[in-house]
Amino acid sequence: MKRFVLGVESTAHTFSVSIVSSEGEILSNSKSVYKAPEGSGIHPFEASQSHIASAPAVLAAAVETSKVPLGEISAVAYAMGPGLGPCLRVGGVVARTLAAKLEVPLVPVNHAVGHIELGCLLTGMKDPVVLLVSGGHTMIISHSGGRWRVLGESLDLTLGQLLDQLGRHHGLASPCGRAIEEAAMGGGYRRLPYAVKGNDVSFSGLLTASKTMLDGGTSFKDVSYSVQETAFAMVAEVTERALAFTGKREVMIVGGVAANRRLSEMMTVMAGRHSAAMASSPLEYSGDCGAQIAWTGWLAYSSGSWIPVQDAKVRQSWRLDVVDTPWRS
Amino acid sequence: MSTRPGEAEPLPGTLIYRGAEADITLGTWQGLGAVFKSRKPLRYRLPALDDSIRRQRTVREAEMIEQAKRAGIRAPFLYAMDLPRATLVMEYVRGDRLRDLVGSLRTDEAEDAFERFGRSAARMHTAGIMHGDLTTANVLMKGKDLFFIDFGLSARTDRLEDHAVDLRLIKETLVGAHPGVAQAALDSLFRGYASEAGTQRFRSVLRQLKSIERRGRYARVE
Ligand SMILES: Nc1ncnc2c1ncn2[C@@H]1O[C@H](COP(=O)(O)OP(=O)(O)OP(=O)(O)O)[C@@H](O)[C@H]1O
Ligand SMILES: [Mg+2]
Repeated sequence: MKRFVLGVESTAHTFSVSIVSSEGEILSNSKSVYKAPEGSGIHPFEASQSHIASAPAVLAAAVETSKVPLGEISAVAYAMGPGLGPCLRVGGVVARTLAAKLEVPLVPVNHAVGHIELGCLLTGMKDPVVLLVSGGHTMIISHSGGRWRVLGESLDLTLGQLLDQLGRHHGLASPCGRAIEEAAMGGGYRRLPYAVKGNDVSFSGLLTASKTMLDGGTSFKDVSYSVQETAFAMVAEVTERALAFTGKREVMIVGGVAANRRLSEMMTVMAGRHSAAMASSPLEYSGDCGAQIAWTGWLAYSSGSWIPVQDAKVRQSWRLDVVDTPWRS
Repeated sequence: MSTRPGEAEPLPGTLIYRGAEADITLGTWQGLGAVFKSRKPLRYRLPALDDSIRRQRTVREAEMIEQAKRAGIRAPFLYAMDLPRATLVMEYVRGDRLRDLVGSLRTDEAEDAFERFGRSAARMHTAGIMHGDLTTANVLMKGKDLFFIDFGLSARTDRLEDHAVDLRLIKETLVGAHPGVAQAALDSLFRGYASEAGTQRFRSVLRQLKSIERRGRYARVE
Protein backbone atom coordinates (compact mmCIF):
# COMPACT_ATOMS: atom_id res chain seq x y z
CA MET A 1 0.00 0.00 0.00
CA LYS A 2 1.24 3.47 -0.84
CA ARG A 3 2.13 5.53 2.20
CA PHE A 4 2.71 9.27 2.53
CA VAL A 5 5.18 11.27 4.60
CA LEU A 6 5.18 15.00 5.18
CA GLY A 7 8.57 16.67 5.70
CA VAL A 8 9.50 20.08 7.10
CA GLU A 9 12.80 21.83 6.33
CA SER A 10 13.90 24.97 8.19
CA THR A 11 17.64 24.72 8.85
CA ALA A 12 18.64 28.09 7.34
CA HIS A 13 17.23 30.43 4.64
CA THR A 14 14.50 28.10 3.49
CA PHE A 15 11.23 27.10 5.08
CA SER A 16 9.75 24.28 3.04
CA VAL A 17 7.15 21.55 3.32
CA SER A 18 6.86 18.54 1.06
CA ILE A 19 4.77 15.42 0.79
CA VAL A 20 6.27 12.31 -0.78
CA SER A 21 4.99 8.81 -1.30
CA SER A 22 6.67 5.59 -0.24
CA GLU A 23 7.32 5.00 -3.94
CA GLY A 24 9.49 8.07 -4.18
CA GLU A 25 7.03 10.42 -5.86
CA ILE A 26 7.44 14.03 -4.77
CA LEU A 27 3.82 15.18 -4.62
CA SER A 28 4.55 18.71 -3.43
CA ASN A 29 7.53 20.81 -2.41
CA SER A 30 6.45 24.31 -1.35
CA LYS A 31 8.90 26.81 0.00
CA SER A 32 9.57 30.33 1.08
CA VAL A 33 13.12 31.68 1.09
CA TYR A 34 14.30 34.39 3.46
CA LYS A 35 16.44 36.95 1.68
CA ALA A 36 19.02 38.86 3.71
CA PRO A 37 19.40 42.60 3.09
CA GLU A 38 21.95 43.52 0.41
CA GLY A 39 25.55 43.28 1.51
CA SER A 40 24.77 41.37 4.72
CA GLY A 41 24.54 37.73 5.73
CA ILE A 42 21.65 35.70 7.07
CA HIS A 43 20.47 36.84 10.48
CA PRO A 44 19.22 33.74 12.33
CA PHE A 45 16.53 35.46 14.34
CA GLU A 46 15.15 37.43 11.41
CA ALA A 47 15.17 34.31 9.25
CA SER A 48 13.21 32.47 11.93
CA GLN A 49 10.65 35.30 12.08
CA SER A 50 10.26 35.06 8.33
CA HIS A 51 9.76 31.28 8.65
CA ILE A 52 7.08 31.76 11.31
CA ALA A 53 5.27 34.24 9.11
CA SER A 54 5.32 32.02 6.03
CA ALA A 55 4.78 28.62 7.68
CA PRO A 56 0.94 28.49 7.49
CA ALA A 57 0.82 29.38 3.80
CA VAL A 58 3.69 27.04 2.85
CA LEU A 59 2.11 24.16 4.75
CA ALA A 60 -1.31 24.79 3.21
CA ALA A 61 0.18 24.96 -0.30
CA ALA A 62 2.11 21.71 0.19
CA VAL A 63 -0.97 19.86 1.39
CA GLU A 64 -3.19 21.26 -1.34
CA THR A 65 -0.76 20.62 -4.20
CA SER A 66 -0.18 17.02 -3.09
CA LYS A 67 -3.92 16.22 -3.10
CA VAL A 68 -3.20 13.86 -0.20
CA PRO A 69 -5.81 14.14 2.57
CA LEU A 70 -4.08 14.95 5.87
CA GLY A 71 -5.64 11.84 7.39
CA GLU A 72 -3.58 9.67 5.02
CA ILE A 73 -0.21 10.98 6.20
CA SER A 74 1.70 8.14 7.92
CA ALA A 75 4.46 10.17 9.54
CA VAL A 76 5.78 13.71 9.90
CA ALA A 77 9.50 14.30 9.42
CA TYR A 78 11.52 17.38 10.30
CA ALA A 79 15.10 18.56 9.98
CA MET A 80 16.44 18.21 13.52
CA GLY A 81 19.81 19.69 12.46
CA PRO A 82 22.41 20.78 11.71
CA GLY A 83 21.51 24.42 11.24
CA LEU A 84 20.67 27.69 12.92
CA GLY A 85 18.93 27.24 16.27
CA PRO A 86 16.09 29.75 15.88
CA CYS A 87 15.30 28.48 12.37
CA LEU A 88 15.42 24.82 13.37
CA ARG A 89 13.02 25.43 16.21
CA VAL A 90 10.35 26.78 13.83
CA GLY A 91 10.35 23.57 11.80
CA GLY A 92 10.47 21.52 14.99
CA VAL A 93 7.39 23.20 16.41
CA VAL A 94 5.43 22.92 13.17
CA ALA A 95 6.28 19.22 12.80
CA ARG A 96 5.60 18.38 16.43
CA THR A 97 2.23 20.11 16.36
CA LEU A 98 1.23 18.34 13.17
CA ALA A 99 2.35 14.92 14.37
CA ALA A 100 0.43 15.34 17.62
CA LYS A 101 -2.68 16.54 15.81
CA LEU A 102 -2.58 13.74 13.22
CA GLU A 103 -1.50 11.19 15.85
CA VAL A 104 1.34 9.88 13.70
CA PRO A 105 5.03 9.24 14.44
CA LEU A 106 7.53 12.07 14.38
CA VAL A 107 10.74 11.37 12.46
CA PRO A 108 13.90 13.46 13.01
CA VAL A 109 16.06 13.77 9.90
CA ASN A 110 19.64 14.94 9.48
CA HIS A 111 19.60 17.72 6.90
CA ALA A 112 22.84 16.60 5.21
CA VAL A 113 21.72 12.98 4.99
CA GLY A 114 18.51 14.41 3.49
CA HIS A 115 20.44 16.09 0.66
CA ILE A 116 22.24 12.84 -0.10
CA GLU A 117 19.26 10.47 0.03
CA LEU A 118 17.07 12.75 -2.08
CA GLY A 119 19.98 13.08 -4.53
CA CYS A 120 20.17 9.28 -4.79
CA LEU A 121 16.44 9.04 -5.36
CA LEU A 122 16.48 11.64 -8.13
CA THR A 123 19.69 10.62 -9.91
CA GLY A 124 19.25 6.88 -9.49
CA MET A 125 22.72 6.57 -7.96
CA LYS A 126 23.18 3.63 -5.62
CA ASP A 127 26.50 4.03 -3.84
CA PRO A 128 28.14 7.28 -4.88
CA VAL A 129 31.01 9.37 -3.62
CA VAL A 130 29.06 12.50 -2.72
CA LEU A 131 30.17 16.10 -2.95
CA LEU A 132 27.88 18.07 -0.64
CA VAL A 133 28.35 21.75 -1.35
CA SER A 134 26.10 24.39 0.15
CA GLY A 135 26.09 27.33 2.51
CA GLY A 136 26.41 25.04 5.50
CA HIS A 137 28.54 22.20 4.13
CA THR A 138 31.52 21.37 2.00
CA MET A 139 32.11 17.66 2.43
CA ILE A 140 33.13 14.63 0.47
CA ILE A 141 31.13 11.68 1.71
CA SER A 142 30.75 8.00 1.03
CA HIS A 143 28.78 5.22 2.65
CA SER A 144 30.48 2.47 4.62
CA GLY A 145 29.87 0.52 7.79
CA GLY A 146 26.22 1.55 8.10
CA ARG A 147 26.72 5.30 7.94
CA TRP A 148 27.58 8.10 5.60
CA ARG A 149 31.24 8.88 6.32
CA VAL A 150 33.19 12.05 5.77
CA LEU A 151 36.31 11.52 3.64
CA GLY A 152 37.19 15.16 3.20
CA GLU A 153 35.87 18.59 4.01
CA SER A 154 36.66 22.26 4.20
CA LEU A 155 38.88 23.20 7.10
CA ASP A 156 37.30 26.63 7.32
CA LEU A 157 34.68 28.28 5.08
CA THR A 158 32.17 26.30 3.06
CA LEU A 159 32.01 26.76 -0.69
CA GLY A 160 28.68 28.56 -0.28
CA GLN A 161 30.17 30.93 2.27
CA LEU A 162 33.12 31.65 -0.01
CA LEU A 163 30.81 32.64 -2.88
CA ASP A 164 28.40 34.56 -0.64
CA GLN A 165 31.10 36.50 1.14
CA LEU A 166 32.76 37.42 -2.13
CA GLY A 167 29.43 38.53 -3.57
CA ARG A 168 28.56 40.54 -0.48
CA HIS A 169 31.93 42.25 -0.60
CA HIS A 170 30.86 43.39 -4.04
CA GLY A 171 27.54 44.62 -2.62
CA LEU A 172 25.26 41.76 -3.68
CA ALA A 173 22.64 40.12 -1.45
CA SER A 174 23.21 36.48 -0.44
CA PRO A 175 22.88 33.87 -1.71
CA CYS A 176 25.27 35.04 -4.46
CA GLY A 177 26.17 31.77 -6.22
CA ARG A 178 24.00 32.46 -9.21
CA ALA A 179 25.26 36.02 -9.71
CA ILE A 180 28.87 34.84 -9.52
CA GLU A 181 28.23 32.05 -12.02
CA GLU A 182 26.79 34.57 -14.47
CA ALA A 183 29.54 37.11 -13.86
CA ALA A 184 32.18 34.44 -14.41
CA MET A 185 31.10 33.75 -17.98
CA GLY A 186 33.74 35.09 -20.32
CA GLY A 187 35.97 36.23 -17.45
CA GLY A 188 39.76 35.94 -17.48
CA TYR A 189 41.99 33.95 -15.19
CA ARG A 190 44.10 35.50 -12.43
CA ARG A 191 46.21 33.45 -10.09
CA LEU A 192 44.66 32.84 -6.66
CA PRO A 193 45.76 30.60 -3.76
CA TYR A 194 45.01 26.92 -4.35
CA ALA A 195 44.85 25.16 -0.99
CA VAL A 196 44.40 21.40 -0.95
CA LYS A 197 45.55 19.81 2.29
CA GLY A 198 45.43 16.07 1.94
CA ASN A 199 41.74 15.23 1.52
CA ASP A 200 40.66 18.64 2.72
CA VAL A 201 40.43 22.13 1.31
CA SER A 202 40.80 25.57 2.81
CA PHE A 203 39.07 28.61 1.33
CA SER A 204 40.01 31.38 3.74
CA GLY A 205 43.20 32.39 1.89
CA LEU A 206 41.34 32.34 -1.40
CA LEU A 207 38.61 34.61 -0.02
CA THR A 208 41.07 37.14 1.35
CA ALA A 209 43.08 37.20 -1.88
CA SER A 210 40.01 37.60 -4.06
CA LYS A 211 38.64 40.46 -1.96
CA THR A 212 42.02 42.18 -2.20
CA MET A 213 41.98 41.64 -5.95
CA LEU A 214 38.52 43.21 -6.21
CA ASP A 215 39.61 46.17 -4.08
CA GLY A 216 42.65 46.56 -6.30
CA GLY A 217 40.43 47.20 -9.31
CA THR A 218 40.24 43.79 -11.00
CA SER A 219 36.78 43.38 -12.53
CA PHE A 220 34.14 41.38 -10.67
CA LYS A 221 33.91 39.29 -13.82
CA ASP A 222 37.57 38.24 -13.73
CA VAL A 223 37.56 37.69 -9.99
CA SER A 224 34.40 35.57 -10.20
CA TYR A 225 35.87 33.49 -13.00
CA SER A 226 39.15 32.98 -11.17
CA VAL A 227 37.49 32.12 -7.87
CA GLN A 228 35.28 29.54 -9.56
CA GLU A 229 38.11 27.96 -11.50
CA THR A 230 40.29 27.76 -8.41
CA ALA A 231 37.76 26.71 -5.79
CA PHE A 232 35.94 24.21 -7.99
CA ALA A 233 39.22 22.61 -9.09
CA MET A 234 40.09 22.20 -5.41
CA VAL A 235 36.85 20.40 -4.58
CA ALA A 236 37.07 18.33 -7.78
CA GLU A 237 40.56 17.29 -6.77
CA VAL A 238 39.61 16.16 -3.28
CA THR A 239 36.55 14.36 -4.65
CA GLU A 240 38.83 12.62 -7.13
CA ARG A 241 41.04 11.56 -4.25
CA ALA A 242 38.05 10.04 -2.44
CA LEU A 243 36.97 8.32 -5.65
CA ALA A 244 40.42 6.79 -6.16
CA PHE A 245 40.61 5.85 -2.50
CA THR A 246 37.23 4.13 -2.27
CA GLY A 247 37.18 2.68 -5.77
CA LYS A 248 33.50 3.57 -6.10
CA ARG A 249 31.89 3.94 -9.52
CA GLU A 250 29.58 6.92 -9.07
CA VAL A 251 29.97 10.60 -8.20
CA MET A 252 27.07 12.82 -7.20
CA ILE A 253 26.87 16.54 -6.39
CA VAL A 254 24.18 17.74 -3.98
CA GLY A 255 23.51 20.96 -2.08
CA GLY A 256 22.86 24.47 -3.32
CA VAL A 257 26.12 24.85 -5.24
CA ALA A 258 25.24 21.71 -7.26
CA ALA A 259 23.26 24.11 -9.44
CA ASN A 260 26.50 25.59 -10.79
CA ARG A 261 27.14 24.31 -14.32
CA ARG A 262 30.87 24.92 -14.33
CA LEU A 263 31.23 22.82 -11.19
CA SER A 264 29.31 19.91 -12.65
CA GLU A 265 31.24 20.19 -15.89
CA MET A 266 34.54 19.87 -14.02
CA MET A 267 33.24 17.01 -11.94
CA THR A 268 32.05 15.18 -15.06
CA VAL A 269 35.50 15.42 -16.62
CA MET A 270 37.06 14.25 -13.36
CA ALA A 271 34.73 11.25 -13.00
CA GLY A 272 35.30 10.32 -16.64
CA ARG A 273 39.01 9.83 -15.98
CA HIS A 274 38.05 7.04 -13.61
CA SER A 275 35.18 5.71 -15.77
CA ALA A 276 32.77 6.67 -13.02
CA ALA A 277 29.28 8.02 -13.64
CA MET A 278 28.55 11.56 -12.51
CA ALA A 279 25.25 13.32 -11.79
CA SER A 280 24.10 16.48 -10.06
CA SER A 281 20.93 16.80 -8.13
CA PRO A 282 18.32 18.46 -10.41
CA LEU A 283 18.20 22.24 -10.06
CA GLU A 284 14.79 22.33 -8.41
CA TYR A 285 15.95 20.06 -5.59
CA SER A 286 19.63 20.93 -5.22
CA GLY A 287 19.00 23.63 -2.63
CA ASP A 288 17.34 23.14 0.74
CA CYS A 289 13.81 21.77 0.44
CA GLY A 290 11.15 19.80 2.27
CA ALA A 291 11.46 16.88 -0.16
CA GLN A 292 14.91 15.92 1.21
CA ILE A 293 13.38 15.69 4.67
CA ALA A 294 10.16 13.95 3.62
CA TRP A 295 11.94 11.30 1.54
CA THR A 296 14.63 10.58 4.13
CA GLY A 297 11.87 10.66 6.74
CA TRP A 298 10.14 7.88 4.83
CA LEU A 299 13.37 5.84 4.67
CA ALA A 300 13.92 6.25 8.41
CA TYR A 301 10.30 5.65 9.34
CA SER A 302 10.11 2.51 7.20
CA SER A 303 13.11 1.11 9.04
CA GLY A 304 11.64 1.91 12.43
CA SER A 305 13.36 5.15 13.46
CA TRP A 306 10.96 7.65 14.90
CA ILE A 307 10.57 9.37 18.23
CA PRO A 308 7.77 10.22 20.66
CA VAL A 309 6.48 13.74 20.07
CA GLN A 310 7.60 14.91 23.52
CA ASP A 311 11.21 13.99 22.65
CA ALA A 312 11.35 16.41 19.75
CA LYS A 313 14.38 18.69 19.97
CA VAL A 314 16.84 20.37 17.64
CA ARG A 315 20.58 19.81 17.24
CA GLN A 316 22.46 22.74 15.77
CA SER A 317 25.66 20.75 15.35
CA TRP A 318 24.67 17.29 14.26
CA ARG A 319 27.28 15.65 12.10
CA LEU A 320 25.98 13.24 9.52
CA ASP A 321 28.60 10.61 10.33
CA VAL A 322 26.92 9.78 13.64
CA VAL A 323 23.60 8.94 11.96
CA ASP A 324 22.79 5.26 11.45
CA THR A 325 21.22 4.43 8.10
CA PRO A 326 19.41 1.12 8.61
CA TRP A 327 17.58 1.56 5.30
CA ARG A 328 20.88 1.07 3.47
CA SER A 329 21.78 -2.32 4.88
CA MET B 1 69.23 11.47 -8.87
CA SER B 2 69.13 12.85 -12.36
CA THR B 3 67.09 15.88 -13.20
CA ARG B 4 67.92 16.11 -16.87
CA PRO B 5 64.73 16.34 -18.86
CA GLY B 6 63.92 13.52 -21.16
CA GLU B 7 65.86 10.94 -19.20
CA ALA B 8 62.83 9.31 -17.74
CA GLU B 9 61.58 8.09 -21.10
CA PRO B 10 58.39 6.29 -20.26
CA LEU B 11 59.23 2.67 -20.95
CA PRO B 12 56.57 0.33 -22.20
CA GLY B 13 55.44 -0.40 -18.68
CA THR B 14 52.15 -1.56 -17.31
CA LEU B 15 49.75 0.80 -15.70
CA ILE B 16 49.27 -0.57 -12.20
CA TYR B 17 47.31 2.19 -10.65
CA ARG B 18 45.40 5.28 -11.59
CA GLY B 19 45.50 7.54 -8.57
CA ALA B 20 43.76 10.83 -8.10
CA GLU B 21 46.75 12.72 -9.38
CA ALA B 22 49.04 10.33 -11.09
CA ASP B 23 49.30 7.27 -13.29
CA ILE B 24 51.61 4.67 -11.81
CA THR B 25 53.34 2.38 -14.27
CA LEU B 26 55.75 -0.40 -13.58
CA GLY B 27 58.88 -0.58 -15.71
CA THR B 28 62.61 -0.82 -15.42
CA TRP B 29 65.24 1.82 -14.83
CA GLN B 30 68.77 0.81 -15.70
CA GLY B 31 67.92 -2.77 -15.04
CA LEU B 32 66.08 -2.13 -11.79
CA GLY B 33 62.40 -2.64 -11.22
CA ALA B 34 61.00 0.88 -11.12
CA VAL B 35 57.80 2.78 -10.62
CA PHE B 36 57.04 5.67 -12.97
CA LYS B 37 54.77 8.19 -11.34
CA SER B 38 53.37 10.61 -13.92
CA ARG B 39 51.17 13.47 -12.92
CA LYS B 40 49.04 13.58 -16.05
CA PRO B 41 47.30 16.82 -17.01
CA LEU B 42 43.91 17.04 -15.33
CA ARG B 43 41.57 18.40 -17.94
CA TYR B 44 39.10 19.86 -15.49
CA ARG B 45 41.67 22.37 -14.27
CA LEU B 46 42.72 25.38 -16.32
CA PRO B 47 45.99 24.45 -18.04
CA ALA B 48 47.83 27.40 -16.50
CA LEU B 49 46.83 26.30 -13.01
CA ASP B 50 47.23 22.60 -13.71
CA ASP B 51 50.74 22.88 -15.15
CA SER B 52 52.08 24.79 -12.22
CA ILE B 53 50.50 22.46 -9.66
CA ARG B 54 51.85 19.34 -11.34
CA ARG B 55 55.35 20.76 -11.65
CA GLN B 56 55.39 22.10 -8.15
CA ARG B 57 54.24 18.84 -6.61
CA THR B 58 56.67 16.79 -8.66
CA VAL B 59 59.61 18.90 -7.53
CA ARG B 60 58.33 18.90 -3.99
CA GLU B 61 57.92 15.14 -3.91
CA ALA B 62 61.46 14.60 -5.21
CA GLU B 63 62.96 16.93 -2.62
CA MET B 64 60.98 15.68 0.29
CA ILE B 65 61.51 11.97 -0.37
CA GLU B 66 65.21 12.72 0.06
CA GLN B 67 64.66 14.75 3.19
CA ALA B 68 62.43 12.14 4.75
CA LYS B 69 65.01 9.46 4.10
CA ARG B 70 67.63 11.64 5.74
CA ALA B 71 65.38 11.86 8.79
CA GLY B 72 65.33 8.07 8.98
CA ILE B 73 61.96 7.47 7.34
CA ARG B 74 61.66 4.62 4.90
CA ALA B 75 60.71 5.84 1.45
CA PRO B 76 61.48 4.63 -2.08
CA PHE B 77 64.80 5.59 -3.66
CA LEU B 78 64.40 8.23 -6.25
CA TYR B 79 66.05 7.34 -9.56
CA ALA B 80 65.13 10.24 -11.83
CA MET B 81 62.88 13.18 -12.48
CA ASP B 82 61.46 14.36 -15.79
CA LEU B 83 59.95 17.72 -15.01
CA PRO B 84 58.39 18.54 -18.39
CA ARG B 85 56.39 15.33 -18.07
CA ALA B 86 55.90 15.76 -14.32
CA THR B 87 57.26 12.26 -13.89
CA LEU B 88 59.32 10.67 -11.15
CA VAL B 89 61.07 7.35 -11.46
CA MET B 90 61.59 5.56 -8.18
CA GLU B 91 62.30 2.29 -6.53
CA TYR B 92 59.51 -0.24 -6.70
CA VAL B 93 58.58 -1.12 -3.15
CA ARG B 94 57.17 -4.65 -3.11
CA GLY B 95 54.66 -4.05 -0.41
CA ASP B 96 50.95 -3.60 0.09
CA ARG B 97 49.07 -0.48 0.86
CA LEU B 98 48.15 -0.28 4.51
CA ARG B 99 44.66 0.63 3.26
CA ASP B 100 44.30 -2.83 1.72
CA LEU B 101 45.77 -4.67 4.69
CA VAL B 102 43.89 -3.01 7.52
CA GLY B 103 40.93 -5.37 7.29
CA SER B 104 43.03 -8.54 7.42
CA LEU B 105 45.69 -7.75 10.03
CA ARG B 106 45.50 -9.58 13.35
CA THR B 107 44.89 -7.33 16.32
CA ASP B 108 48.50 -7.48 17.50
CA GLU B 109 49.76 -6.91 13.95
CA ALA B 110 47.52 -3.90 13.52
CA GLU B 111 48.62 -2.52 16.87
CA ASP B 112 52.25 -2.88 15.87
CA ALA B 113 51.71 -1.38 12.41
CA PHE B 114 49.87 1.69 13.67
CA GLU B 115 52.32 2.23 16.48
CA ARG B 116 55.11 2.28 13.89
CA PHE B 117 53.00 4.60 11.76
CA GLY B 118 52.71 6.97 14.72
CA ARG B 119 56.43 6.82 15.44
CA SER B 120 57.29 7.59 11.82
CA ALA B 121 54.85 10.49 11.72
CA ALA B 122 56.43 11.92 14.87
CA ARG B 123 59.90 11.42 13.44
CA MET B 124 58.97 13.37 10.31
CA HIS B 125 57.52 16.15 12.41
CA THR B 126 60.51 16.28 14.71
CA ALA B 127 62.67 16.64 11.62
CA GLY B 128 60.49 19.54 10.48
CA ILE B 129 58.61 17.66 7.77
CA MET B 130 54.88 17.67 7.30
CA HIS B 131 53.85 14.84 5.00
CA GLY B 132 50.65 16.56 3.90
CA ASP B 133 48.90 13.41 2.69
CA LEU B 134 49.06 10.83 5.45
CA THR B 135 46.34 8.42 4.39
CA THR B 136 46.48 4.65 4.62
CA ALA B 137 46.88 4.57 0.82
CA ASN B 138 50.20 6.35 1.09
CA VAL B 139 51.83 3.90 3.46
CA LEU B 140 53.19 0.68 1.99
CA MET B 141 53.80 -2.26 4.28
CA LYS B 142 56.57 -4.69 3.43
CA GLY B 143 56.95 -7.29 6.12
CA LYS B 144 56.79 -5.23 9.26
CA ASP B 145 58.34 -2.17 7.68
CA LEU B 146 56.36 0.85 6.64
CA PHE B 147 57.38 2.84 3.56
CA PHE B 148 56.02 6.33 3.07
CA ILE B 149 55.18 7.57 -0.41
CA ASP B 150 53.34 10.40 -2.14
CA PHE B 151 55.17 13.45 -0.75
CA GLY B 152 53.72 15.90 -3.28
CA LEU B 153 51.83 17.88 -0.64
CA SER B 154 54.57 17.85 1.96
CA ALA B 155 56.27 20.87 3.42
CA ARG B 156 59.12 21.95 5.63
CA THR B 157 57.54 23.23 8.78
CA ASP B 158 57.85 23.16 12.54
CA ARG B 159 54.43 24.69 13.14
CA LEU B 160 52.21 22.85 15.56
CA GLU B 161 49.23 23.60 13.33
CA ASP B 162 50.80 21.85 10.33
CA HIS B 163 51.72 18.78 12.31
CA ALA B 164 48.20 18.65 13.70
CA VAL B 165 46.79 18.85 10.16
CA ASP B 166 48.78 15.70 9.37
CA LEU B 167 47.26 13.85 12.32
CA ARG B 168 43.82 15.17 11.52
CA LEU B 169 44.01 13.64 8.06
CA ILE B 170 45.04 10.27 9.47
CA LYS B 171 42.12 10.44 11.84
CA GLU B 172 39.70 11.49 9.10
CA THR B 173 40.86 8.62 6.89
CA LEU B 174 40.60 6.06 9.66
CA VAL B 175 37.18 7.19 10.84
CA GLY B 176 35.88 7.72 7.30
CA ALA B 177 37.30 4.66 5.57
CA HIS B 178 38.08 2.12 8.27
CA PRO B 179 35.37 2.82 10.87
CA GLY B 180 35.52 -0.65 12.41
CA VAL B 181 39.14 -0.37 13.52
CA ALA B 182 39.52 3.40 13.68
CA GLN B 183 39.55 3.82 17.44
CA ALA B 184 42.01 1.03 18.16
CA ALA B 185 44.25 2.13 15.29
CA LEU B 186 44.27 5.72 16.51
CA ASP B 187 45.10 4.65 20.04
CA SER B 188 48.12 2.70 18.81
CA LEU B 189 49.14 5.48 16.48
CA PHE B 190 48.99 8.11 19.18
CA ARG B 191 50.94 5.88 21.54
CA GLY B 192 53.66 5.55 18.91
CA TYR B 193 53.61 9.26 18.22
CA ALA B 194 53.95 10.13 21.91
CA SER B 195 56.81 7.69 22.40
CA GLU B 196 58.80 9.34 19.61
CA ALA B 197 57.86 12.99 19.98
CA GLY B 198 57.58 13.04 23.76
CA THR B 199 54.36 13.28 25.73
CA GLN B 200 54.47 17.02 26.00
CA ARG B 201 54.76 17.66 22.29
CA PHE B 202 52.16 14.98 21.63
CA ARG B 203 49.69 16.67 23.96
CA SER B 204 50.20 20.01 22.28
CA VAL B 205 49.66 18.53 18.82
CA LEU B 206 46.54 16.73 20.03
CA ARG B 207 45.16 19.94 21.51
CA GLN B 208 45.78 21.71 18.21
CA LEU B 209 44.05 18.87 16.38
CA LYS B 210 40.95 19.34 18.52
CA SER B 211 40.95 23.05 17.82
CA ILE B 212 41.15 22.42 14.04
CA GLU B 213 38.22 20.06 14.28
CA ARG B 214 36.16 22.64 16.07
CA ARG B 215 36.97 25.24 13.43
CA GLY B 216 35.81 23.29 10.41
CA ARG B 217 33.25 20.90 11.67
CA TYR B 218 30.01 22.57 12.20
CA ALA B 219 30.51 25.23 9.63
CA ARG B 220 27.34 27.22 9.62
CA VAL B 221 25.30 29.16 7.20
CA GLU B 222 25.85 32.90 7.34
N1 LIG C 1 57.47 3.36 -5.11
C1 LIG C 1 56.40 2.60 -5.16
N2 LIG C 1 56.47 1.28 -5.00
C2 LIG C 1 55.38 0.49 -5.06
N3 LIG C 1 54.15 0.94 -5.28
C3 LIG C 1 53.99 2.26 -5.44
C4 LIG C 1 55.09 3.16 -5.39
N4 LIG C 1 54.63 4.40 -5.61
C5 LIG C 1 53.30 4.28 -5.78
N5 LIG C 1 52.89 3.00 -5.68
C6 LIG C 1 51.51 2.50 -5.79
O1 LIG C 1 50.71 3.44 -6.51
C7 LIG C 1 49.71 4.00 -5.68
C8 LIG C 1 49.54 5.49 -5.97
O2 LIG C 1 50.76 6.17 -5.74
P1 LIG C 1 50.77 7.66 -5.17
O3 LIG C 1 50.06 7.67 -3.89
O4 LIG C 1 52.16 8.13 -5.18
O5 LIG C 1 49.94 8.40 -6.31
P2 LIG C 1 48.61 9.28 -6.23
O6 LIG C 1 48.16 9.58 -7.58
O7 LIG C 1 48.86 10.39 -5.32
O8 LIG C 1 47.60 8.27 -5.61
P3 LIG C 1 46.36 8.58 -4.64
O9 LIG C 1 45.49 9.49 -5.35
O10 LIG C 1 45.76 7.22 -4.43
O11 LIG C 1 46.97 9.15 -3.40
C9 LIG C 1 50.15 3.70 -4.28
O12 LIG C 1 49.07 3.61 -3.40
C10 LIG C 1 50.88 2.37 -4.44
O13 LIG C 1 49.96 1.30 -4.47
MG1 LIG D 1 48.59 8.45 -2.87
